[in-house]
Amino acid sequence: MSLGKFLARRLLQGIFVIWGVVTIMFALRALSPGDPVNLIAGEVPDQATRDQIRQDLGLDQPLYVQYADYLGDLLTGSLGYSYNQRRAVSDIVAQHFAATVELALAATIIAIIIAIPLGVVSATRRNEPADYGATLGSLVGISTPNFWLGLMLILLLAEQIGLFPTSGRGVAFHEAMITLATTGYVGDVLLWLSYIILPAVTLGTYFTALITRLTRSGMIDELGKPYVTATRAKGLPETLVRYKHVLRNTLIPIVTVLGLQLGTLMGGAVITEEVFNWPGLGQTFIGALRNGDWPVVQGIVLFIAIAFVVINIFVDALYARLDPQVVDE
Amino acid sequence: MAKLGVAILIVILLMGIFAPVLATHNPTTQGYTDENGASYPPVGMDYNTTVAEDGERVSHTVYGTSDHILGTNNLGQDIYSRFLYGARTSLLVGVSGSLLAALIGVPIGLTAGYFGGRVDDGLMRVADVMLAFPALVLALALMGSLGRGTIGIPDPIVLAGFADGMPERMTFPGMVAVVVALVTWVWFARVARGEAIAIRNEAYVKAARSVGASNRTILLRHVLPNSLTPIIVLGTIQVAAIIILESALSFLGFSGTTLSWGFEIQNGQDRLRTQWWVATIPGIGIVLSVVGINLLGDWLRDALDPNIEGEGGGGAG
Repeated sequence: MSLGKFLARRLLQGIFVIWGVVTIMFALRALSPGDPVNLIAGEVPDQATRDQIRQDLGLDQPLYVQYADYLGDLLTGSLGYSYNQRRAVSDIVAQHFAATVELALAATIIAIIIAIPLGVVSATRRNEPADYGATLGSLVGISTPNFWLGLMLILLLAEQIGLFPTSGRGVAFHEAMITLATTGYVGDVLLWLSYIILPAVTLGTYFTALITRLTRSGMIDELGKPYVTATRAKGLPETLVRYKHVLRNTLIPIVTVLGLQLGTLMGGAVITEEVFNWPGLGQTFIGALRNGDWPVVQGIVLFIAIAFVVINIFVDALYARLDPQVVDE
Repeated sequence: MAKLGVAILIVILLMGIFAPVLATHNPTTQGYTDENGASYPPVGMDYNTTVAEDGERVSHTVYGTSDHILGTNNLGQDIYSRFLYGARTSLLVGVSGSLLAALIGVPIGLTAGYFGGRVDDGLMRVADVMLAFPALVLALALMGSLGRGTIGIPDPIVLAGFADGMPERMTFPGMVAVVVALVTWVWFARVARGEAIAIRNEAYVKAARSVGASNRTILLRHVLPNSLTPIIVLGTIQVAAIIILESALSFLGFSGTTLSWGFEIQNGQDRLRTQWWVATIPGIGIVLSVVGINLLGDWLRDALDPNIEGEGGGGAG
């Protein structure tokens, strides 16, 4: 099978996945209690107005018609309108997604910077204090709920020592960068950094722990393979063996695991944003769910699912380039 | 390390089971405060707060009391007693949720793997859809849609008269258990499918088929028993993941019970600066339980079966 065909099949599967997500979310909205008309009109007693709103929303139609209309709207690029914000869902998603991407990227970067060296040290110094420390640390990191870790960081580093602000976003990354580029003022960048550090560490801890574990076990497997002995026998320096050959082969499968863990990252972002009052998609999602604002809930979940599918197709393509056997499977 | 995990788990299990006996106060009774209405800190500690006196705010130091060894929360409820009942909720939801997920996932996975073909393709596509949902996001949406139904279970220890003054019924957040199972069954289906694919071509399955055993008999008598090991390992790890998921749902207010570690952490969030213990103590309970289960799960995985997906439970919250 060619790479093109492989990607075409992946894309088709991706479209099916998104349809599945859309359908499940539609069903959940249909099953949910509460009347959207109340959300829009308040407790308006006037029956004619209520009927008019119900008709405008298409809620007087049978469910299959509503479902077909919803799919039709999605195909034309419309995510619908929020019940209580009087705005298009796409506007709301567009307003908040940058904050979430910022947070998720920062968490991933922190995780990679800490975890890979830690995993390598752990694997190459097996059963030494550094290995025990890293293993214990990653066990606790995997076992700690994000939201509690976030609160503890706020308690210790923000409330007690006053090192960081307790919550909020301060300034958007792109705005800080524009200020830096136009005026040369670094204060905004530092402000951005001071706000994002705690939530990014909170969200990144699970992934730091996960990648440390994966790097450690992957390295140990790889180090036992014959080609390592061969490269060593060839007289290559140990550092080159470890970092160029072994680490490279270890990291390739980790990339696919991380692609699949993107859902966990987004789930973690939801609760981290809530704890730190970070104005991203996660906080918006929870707010909308509490209010019964289903179009916003559905729109955000759809956005997350599309991001998941696109990134995983990208990861698959990358993987297929690095390891052509994948395409043949 | 596995022994440490088991030891932690046994302690937490005993705390949960015998919560009514071990508790010093009814966990739902409010108003355990000092004469000024201020919550107690843990015993041996003190903190400063202000109280109204003759229309003015006056600084006031509150000392911990041995009556409430871990202090009281913002409603004046005893934190030690609530900690014990929280262990109960976490373990009940963790174990029942994991069992329920296995009950849904294992039959589907075994059938798909054993028969292969279209049935299998269908399952894999459904699994793809489930994977695209962040577990917490789907769980929240399900709770938002299906409601927060609970089941009141009579507490046998209290009814037997061993713990006077404790709640006679415990609130089991049944909908939470169902929702976490709906979110995690797909992992069981994937593992069961992999096992069934490996087993269906084994000699003993072919032999059974050649003597005329029906597919149903083969699935129940041969495929299921021989695929149990990795399912048990996964089930153990999933208890940890579900405990974190449950605490996250409770923290966000999407649970049916207030006797939950996650809910208690939510209670403490607003008073983090002055009453740090309210949010801190239940979190230690979550971390210890999940560490214990993960230690046990890692040990089981190494001892029984090296080929299983997943790296410890957690993360979702």
